[in-house]
Amino acid sequence: MKMFSVSHKTAFVVDHCPYMAESCRQQVECDVLTKSRGQGMIPLAPVSKSLWTCAVECSMEYCRILYDVYPLKKLINYIVSDSEFHILNSWRQEDQSTHELMSALAAVGPPNPQEDPECCSVLHGLVAAVESLCKITEYQHEARTTLMDTADRVANRGRIICLTNAKSDTHVRMLEDCVQETILEQNKMAAGSDRLMPIQQCELVLVHIFPQGEDTLVSDRPKKEVSSLLTSEVHSVRAGRHLATKLNILVQQHFDLASTTITNIPMKEEQHANTSANYDVELLHHRDAHLEFFKSGDLHMAGSTSRDSGLKETVTLKWCTPRTNSVELHYCTGAYRISPTDVNSRPSSCLTNFLLNGRSVLLEQPRKSGSKVISHMLSSHGGEIFLHVLNSTRSTLEDPPSISEGCGGRVTDYRITDFGEFMRENRLTPVPESPDTEASGKPPAERAKAQLERYTRYWPMIISQTTIFNMQAVVPLANLIVKESLSEEDLLTCQKTVYNLVDMERKNDPLPISTVGSRGKGPKRDEQYRIMWNELETLVKTHVAGSERHQRVLDCIIACRSKPPEEEERKKRGRKREDKEDKAEKSINKDSEDKSWQESERLKGVVERVKEEQGESEVIKDSPDSPEPLNKKPRLEEIQLPEKAKGPVSLLTMWTNRITVANSRKHQEFAGRISSVNNKAELYQHLKDENGMDLHENGKATR
Amino acid sequence: MPTVVLMDASLSMTRPVSLEQCSEELQRKNLAVAGLTMLFEHMANNYRLEFTSLVAFSSLWELLVPFTRDYNTLQEALNNLEDYDKTCLESALHGVSNVVQQEWGHACPTQVVLVTDGSLGIGKGSLRHSLQTLKGRPEDKKFPLPFPFPAKLFVMCIANAEELQMTDTMHNLEQLLQLNGGDGQIFTMEGQLCLKSVQMFTQIMLIDLYPDFPAVLRCGNLASDVQVFPRPEPVFLDEEIDPMPRHILTDLEIVGFIEIGDISSPPVMSRHLVLPIAVNKEVDDVGPGTTEEPEEETSANQQAGKVPNFCVLLHGSLKVEGMVALVQLGPEWYGMLYSQADSKKKSNLMMSLFEPGPEPLPWLGKVSQLGPISDAAENPYGEDDSKSPFPLQPKIKRSYAQNVTVWIKASGLQTDVQKILRNARKLPEKTQTFYKELNRLRKAALAFGFWELLKGVAELLERECTLLPDTAHPDAAFQLSHAAKQLKLASTGDSQYAAFDQNINPMHTDFSGGGAGM
Repeated sequence: MKMFSVSHKTAFVVDHCPYMAESCRQQVECDVLTKSRGQGMIPLAPVSKSLWTCAVECSMEYCRILYDVYPLKKLINYIVSDSEFHILNSWRQEDQSTHELMSALAAVGPPNPQEDPECCSVLHGLVAAVESLCKITEYQHEARTTLMDTADRVANRGRIICLTNAKSDTHVRMLEDCVQETILEQNKMAAGSDRLMPIQQCELVLVHIFPQGEDTLVSDRPKKEVSSLLTSEVHSVRAGRHLATKLNILVQQHFDLASTTITNIPMKEEQHANTSANYDVELLHHRDAHLEFFKSGDLHMAGSTSRDSGLKETVTLKWCTPRTNSVELHYCTGAYRISPTDVNSRPSSCLTNFLLNGRSVLLEQPRKSGSKVISHMLSSHGGEIFLHVLNSTRSTLEDPPSISEGCGGRVTDYRITDFGEFMRENRLTPVPESPDTEASGKPPAERAKAQLERYTRYWPMIISQTTIFNMQAVVPLANLIVKESLSEEDLLTCQKTVYNLVDMERKNDPLPISTVGSRGKGPKRDEQYRIMWNELETLVKTHVAGSERHQRVLDCIIACRSKPPEEEERKKRGRKREDKEDKAEKSINKDSEDKSWQESERLKGVVERVKEEQGESEVIKDSPDSPEPLNKKPRLEEIQLPEKAKGPVSLLTMWTNRITVANSRKHQEFAGRISSVNNKAELYQHLKDENGMDLHENGKATR
Repeated sequence: MPTVVLMDASLSMTRPVSLEQCSEELQRKNLAVAGLTMLFEHMANNYRLEFTSLVAFSSLWELLVPFTRDYNTLQEALNNLEDYDKTCLESALHGVSNVVQQEWGHACPTQVVLVTDGSLGIGKGSLRHSLQTLKGRPEDKKFPLPFPFPAKLFVMCIANAEELQMTDTMHNLEQLLQLNGGDGQIFTMEGQLCLKSVQMFTQIMLIDLYPDFPAVLRCGNLASDVQVFPRPEPVFLDEEIDPMPRHILTDLEIVGFIEIGDISSPPVMSRHLVLPIAVNKEVDDVGPGTTEEPEEETSANQQAGKVPNFCVLLHGSLKVEGMVALVQLGPEWYGMLYSQADSKKKSNLMMSLFEPGPEPLPWLGKVSQLGPISDAAENPYGEDDSKSPFPLQPKIKRSYAQNVTVWIKASGLQTDVQKILRNARKLPEKTQTFYKELNRLRKAALAFGFWELLKGVAELLERECTLLPDTAHPDAAFQLSHAAKQLKLASTGDSQYAAFDQNINPMHTDFSGGGAGM
């Protein structure tokens, strides 16, 4: 449906003249006496509605369905006409509710039978309705403002539904002519105004209401063109039930609605709570929810039945157990708001309450072939119930390659948990529209993107690419530094984190750096810390432009880590924990800085290679799509690390090592040699390994 | 999108082509087969996920190969194609329509490649005849175009343009395209009909049939080159105001993340696989020492598998956390990324497109108004993830959520009156419910101008008062007569008593202190 079709504006004109106070002559027995009580009692006389009451309640039902299915952009202007017109609401969106209209109707009250019929007419209302259709709605205004020079493309169409008691066909023609003339008049006026728009198309729907048992004086007439601007149709209907049915059909026609009957709804009996019977509930919704049926010609097979006047069709869908849960993402091709036709009947309210409580129901469609298929789902979102259309045809996306088969699919140490944490921190929330947020410049979604940008300035994707993100000790700083601005307190926390790291270094605490994929110690401690500090600096540097306090965090890091190498060495010498390998190194401490760098690079290479090898055979449980582990290969590479910092390595040693590595791949290595250092197998080495693992796992606490 | 190859198997396809440059004798059919072979090879190499089916037609039509990804089967069927009688396109198009609808339904965009020599039949059943008799056909004999699904029609003519223009074939084919909404193209051969020119022309056609859609998926500074499959088609919105087609951006930018339960099976226009691709990035930064390894010969594919890719990370975390990523596709156009499991072992990164517009899902509100949680004064998800800011509640409740009064059916009115009477008999225990129901009825009666009902119910309450048993609490009688009196006053329409927003309040009685007081 086009945005500004005739359905955008509907003007209801309800006749409030004295004759509308007449009874519809349909009696309602509201005093239902039970056998036990009613003995000898005279029941209350039945009540009967006036034509006015019938017109009002049926028009309210029309509005109820409309507002349920289209809470926005389909507007109603309710006008009452007697000796003058009374406009009960405006086109404004906040005026669009049944409560609003009921309140205004109560103020109008029923027609006064004593009023002089001569000065009363529905014409006043019709003229007011045409004037009202010329008034611009907020949506039309908005569209015109955004389109600027092509503003004339915004259409102004509308519909007038007139509920009246006409005297004759001639009277009807008089009403039509009057509407036509008023349109021409108003269009002239509208042409010269900014707040008004000329009417391009108007549909007049005249509903003639007459009491039960009387013959109609007005004949039904299908839609005909009065002029290029105006079409008109006449419906002659008995008050009461017939009028309700008529308006129900009209609201479906006017707003492209269709009907679905949910069948086989199991419901506890009021009387016998332990039994349940099956009920049917009819729902109205946009007809696109049946699109697949229309196109496939399955409509009639889908249990469509004609009811009542024969104009009304409904598609039957079967309630389906088991139910579905909300954490499942269904492939849904459409979702349409619903309105129950019989809103306060017990089956309807049972169904709607069930859905409003957050449960969803799958619906089954009987097919031509006799097979059954789940085609729809009923589900509520925030107090609104939607009929979801589920895709029931074959998908072109079937059997796709798994993500683990594509780029990056073989990598197994992604920081899945950390990125999950990152996603939680970057969840979205609705921000109320207010002048404040506009003043701050960026709309919320742009701010969300800016936050993602800040959070990802330095974000290594795999565990082995990072040290700092595997360390619990760095977490406070890492969480704060990505913030747009830092408070004094935040700055203090960051500085504390840095001091804490310095302390760790002084105590020579192990870092979770090289244990991944290698055995033993990996790079030396001071080398580990150097790598860690470098990484921390990289992280903080990406944020220094943010604020002066960000800069101060960086300053703090640079100040804390820049120690003269001599001092470091002295510190080291004082310690007893270092083993003999360390001693060997100290003998050449002059160029140790330089050397250790080279070595670390080389080691990193080795470490990474080892990881890649492992990538094929090992699975890290974090990554759900890793291929199944193959038969575990022996970790031959481990013997690559015998050189473990033993002073300068000669070219020959390097070459020999490399050859050894290459050779070792060609045969199954002895278990002893695999775990040996310098061809000496170390005993109880599992203790060491376990320490290493512990350290790694403790490096970063799970969340 | 799926492709149907509609192959002309009529006798005219066996016409030999004039031989000047080509040494061996060739039929037009051979040229067509050569072209299609190229097409299939191209598909097998580049678009292994595409489905293709082969339909042959003459005066009858036959589905030779149903939709498949197995190009060998297609090739085999093509090679074994026999020659039949005359060309009758209309019934063949009906056939295509059926084949596609049965397989994919009505929403899946499909392309139809008609392969023909350009002689489209004579007399009844010919395209010319079909087009001349378009109008005034009964409902069940409508021309199959436009197809009931979104379809692109490509015509691969094994003939050159001059040849086609001599007859009215070109005109008829153009008309055919127009009938289908103009989406498609006619390809004719340039110059001499020979294998070489068929190859040229297939090359050109391939670009139109399977345009690439290279895109980049971004989340802040994290990014990955991706292929979006199937290629997203342009979308047309409200044709009155904004008839321009909308294309999705090649820069897919993540806005933020939302829990699956919060986004809650949203309606989508289409779904697409997001496959990471390695674009011109030689994997040379794998680390020193690797090059000398025995795996030197590993293919580029395997290498790419070992380079960390953002898509894989994102997919893994989305799956573990049960979340989706909201992604911007264009101005006021969004979609979502999530992990879609095909089976227990296989799962993939999938992207669904929402309908373009500022507010595709009412329960999320305007997407541009979704901001980071750090913007909120306190975490809307709660410190322990126990809450959620979604779904948004509409300002006005729907009728089924607010206990509306509808008396269109007599039973509705009777139920409401009985409810009041039931509670009246249980006064004073049920005082609150009694007045709640009474006021609901009063409001509706006033709005509907149904004063007679107010009088009626007042009389009923008075009668209940007289029927009260001796054991009844004295308060019951007071409340009943008070309520009856108020209803009667309201039924006069006197604005003092008949205001809509006014309620009848319970009478204040105090029996502990002795007498009743107002």
